[in-house]
Amino acid sequence: MLLLFLGPFVLLTVLFFVMPAIITAFLALTNLDAAFQGTYVGLDNFRGLFADPLLPRVLLNTVVYVFFTLICFNTGLGLVLALLTTHIPDRVGTVFRAIWLLPRLTPMVVYGLLWLWFVDPTKYGMLNTARSWFGLAPLDLISASPWLVIVLVNGFIGASLGMVILTSAIKSVPEDYVRAARVDGASSLAIVRHVILPLIRWPLTFVLVNQTLALLTSYEYILLVTGGGPFYDTTVYALYVFRRAIQNGDYGYGAALAFILVVVGAVAALSYWRLLNFERMISAPKIEAD
Amino acid sequence: MGRIVLDKLGKRFGVVEALRDLNLEIADAELIALLGPSGCGKTTTLLMLAGIYKPTSGQILFDGVAVNDLPPQDRHIGMVFQSYALYPHMTVFDNIAFPLRLLRRPVDEIQRRVLEAAALVQIEALMDRRPSQLSGGQQQRTALARALVKQPTLLLLDEPLSNLDAKLRVLMRAEIKHLQRRLGITTILVTHDQVEAMTMADRIAVLRDGLLQQVGTPDDLYYRPANTFVAGFIGSPPMNFIPAQVETTDGQVAFAAEGMRLPAAEWTAPHLAGRRGGPVLVGVRPEDIRLSLVPGESAVQGRILDVEPLGRELVVAVTVGRQVVVAIADHGFAGKPDQPIGMSVPPERIYVFDPTTESAIV
Amino acid sequence: MEQVTIPAGQLRRWRTPQEVAALAQRARRREVLTQTMIYALLTLISLPIVVPYLWLVAAAFSERVSYGIIPSGFTLNNWRFLWVANLGFVSGTAGRLPNIWQVVANSLVLAVGTAAIVVVVSTLAGYFISRHGFSRRAGFLKGALALQAFPGITLLVALFILLRSLNLLNSMLGVILVIAALHLPFALFVMKGFFDGIPWDIEMSALIDGASRLRAWYTVLLPQARNGIAAVAMFSFLWGWTDYIYVLTFVLRRSSWTMALYLNSVIGEYRFADYGLMAAVGVFYMIPSLLFFLFTQRQLLQITLGGTKA
Repeated sequence: MLLLFLGPFVLLTVLFFVMPAIITAFLALTNLDAAFQGTYVGLDNFRGLFADPLLPRVLLNTVVYVFFTLICFNTGLGLVLALLTTHIPDRVGTVFRAIWLLPRLTPMVVYGLLWLWFVDPTKYGMLNTARSWFGLAPLDLISASPWLVIVLVNGFIGASLGMVILTSAIKSVPEDYVRAARVDGASSLAIVRHVILPLIRWPLTFVLVNQTLALLTSYEYILLVTGGGPFYDTTVYALYVFRRAIQNGDYGYGAALAFILVVVGAVAALSYWRLLNFERMISAPKIEAD
Repeated sequence: MGRIVLDKLGKRFGVVEALRDLNLEIADAELIALLGPSGCGKTTTLLMLAGIYKPTSGQILFDGVAVNDLPPQDRHIGMVFQSYALYPHMTVFDNIAFPLRLLRRPVDEIQRRVLEAAALVQIEALMDRRPSQLSGGQQQRTALARALVKQPTLLLLDEPLSNLDAKLRVLMRAEIKHLQRRLGITTILVTHDQVEAMTMADRIAVLRDGLLQQVGTPDDLYYRPANTFVAGFIGSPPMNFIPAQVETTDGQVAFAAEGMRLPAAEWTAPHLAGRRGGPVLVGVRPEDIRLSLVPGESAVQGRILDVEPLGRELVVAVTVGRQVVVAIADHGFAGKPDQPIGMSVPPERIYVFDPTTESAIV
Repeated sequence: MEQVTIPAGQLRRWRTPQEVAALAQRARRREVLTQTMIYALLTLISLPIVVPYLWLVAAAFSERVSYGIIPSGFTLNNWRFLWVANLGFVSGTAGRLPNIWQVVANSLVLAVGTAAIVVVVSTLAGYFISRHGFSRRAGFLKGALALQAFPGITLLVALFILLRSLNLLNSMLGVILVIAALHLPFALFVMKGFFDGIPWDIEMSALIDGASRLRAWYTVLLPQARNGIAAVAMFSFLWGWTDYIYVLTFVLRRSSWTMALYLNSVIGEYRFADYGLMAAVGVFYMIPSLLFFLFTQRQLLQITLGGTKA
């Protein structure tokens, strides 16, 4: 019975999850190229990382991107939205939260389309249309502030997860604490500061950690809106892997780059065992018959 | 100073009326209990007094001034919640200091007042602990200290003893009562436990389904209940209710029920004037029933159903006809289940209620 | 009885009616101000989200859109991709844009296929892991948890090579398997959660009534987990429908394109020339997502920890 029920799961995840991780390791040790020719080259690819002229910029992009998107949007804006929407009547709050979930639910390409329209450098783009109302000339936002664009694009999507989790956390703060604080003389702002924020520290940390990993490995929106350009100016590490390996065909080198990401991902995933309340999840089954 | 008046107070949630037309006057420095089963409106009233709920009808007056629209923070009240609501991330000191910090009092004043409040409830040694490191009783004292530190005009207590074990309960109710007397703060206590109310309060207001049933001293409620609800709610084991008929024989009024006939006290005759032959509900408290194992001695004969030893006394359940009557016997009682037994009740200890209106006739 | 020191100020009258009225009014004003500010702030920051979607719908049905989002000239011409046989060239190659209905069919195959595999596999595994004990159960769950937290997208290169060697490139099956497999851990925990929520009593009484465990699963537990199955089915359908990266990488043959690639190409081709067409394709593509959104908002907003990709 075990085989029947767990078999397919194990088969699929081993084949498409575990094996590729191992394959990545092996690939990283070759110089497989677009023609699918390659030989074993040992750690050459990793040595090549240090000599890669594009990598420093890519790493800088990644740090800027992850840091600002995480702090300003995924966590920051998420928290702000959660706080704001829980302090107005719930039905209206739900409407606003639904609006902020919309980007996450639209197909990626459509969301990318909306941003492309927004940053369109001709006078028909939304930004430039708005600029023309104020008498300003059209602007190519991607060229002018590439980092701003990628942070914004991902931020609007990222804020929604933090918002959902933190809203739930805020709503589960026991009513009595808020009431006691009111009787003690606290204003709404004081209640947020002294009662609510300290009591949602744990979910907040979770969002921070979880989203850091998510941001490190995401690149589809950047790919859609800027393509990683101009040149490599908005290419983050994960996108760099994609461009080198899939677009350019440097499978070996790309695998080496990916391998580092795989290791980071694995470390993060393993530390989840500590982070989450694991005992609760594995409470033993109560029927021992077979 | 701490005089509270509730004037035709009512609260409605959507279509549900949690409280209806409550009129109550609370004197300065009085400790009054709001007593009743869950859903009776007592907590709703407390939260309206705190300003957390707004009344939908009527007024609340503090010292003659209507405060319906006054927010909680401006009401000069202290409140102890049933869950204590101690901020888990703050130490005991910080918890107690919180109201003063919100008022932006100077640091040395805060220090002094917090320690004074802590001394009132004897928790000076616990100032650096977190709530999770405190026992239930200590948490309650901390909550009390926090409520008292801003020297409020009114103290509100929501089921203060319900989370404590039996022994602690007896201790704390004496302490709270003593503290209240000492400080002279008007205090309103909400509880579903009639023992709590009876032992602590100067007066008790009994509520049921949003309506005030009776307000009075513990003695008032115990010996002069206004209706069957109050009579049955106060006192343990609860009063026995026996449906009966009013009979007159030779000018003597008596209550006739299945298998028993209880003579009424003489001074009740005028009250029962219009009820000859009519139905009434007779109430008898368990402790007022005299039991006798001597056959034929007592007016009412029944059979013992069960005997429950409580140590100091015994609870004896007796069947009379189809009715079960509960009585209390002293420690030496020798009866056993299925034994025949005789019961009598002194006429002046009989309560009489109207079966339909449930209110007291005598 | 000793008296506690009462500050002199407290012996006077509590508050005058004027004081109370003033305080009440101050509180009321503060409340109104706070609420207004919150509404204003929320509306302001939500505009950048609402406006583009309005534009999308407006542009899809108009000839021109002036002032950003005000449509003018209602037309269905933008929707011609639905009936025009060949729409044009794919820029950069000599090939033509594939037929929309072929593309829709591909997308449906991908979405339904993913949903089918994910639902079946995760329901079976989720039930078993929830209701049966076996020697390596804890280890299995740990592993699944780690997989769920692990970003599958880092394996793209290896998956590409793997699919190529299995000759599954360009077929929907390859993509289906990849997307399904990478989302299985999440689906597993969702289904496990639903099965965990079924009281043990029901299953115990089924066994006492004479059912085997297999039969109990089939007749008693499975119906109870209906909601979970529906949820997982919807999620995985959308993962398949909306996926971009995996189809971009694994599907090279134009006739196997899904909606994501189709739209991507339309954008590339018509980007500065015909917003209307792009918008129409976009709206068309969005329909299932929108339906999902409308029907499940309330449940979505209740999702808490447990790892969400919703």
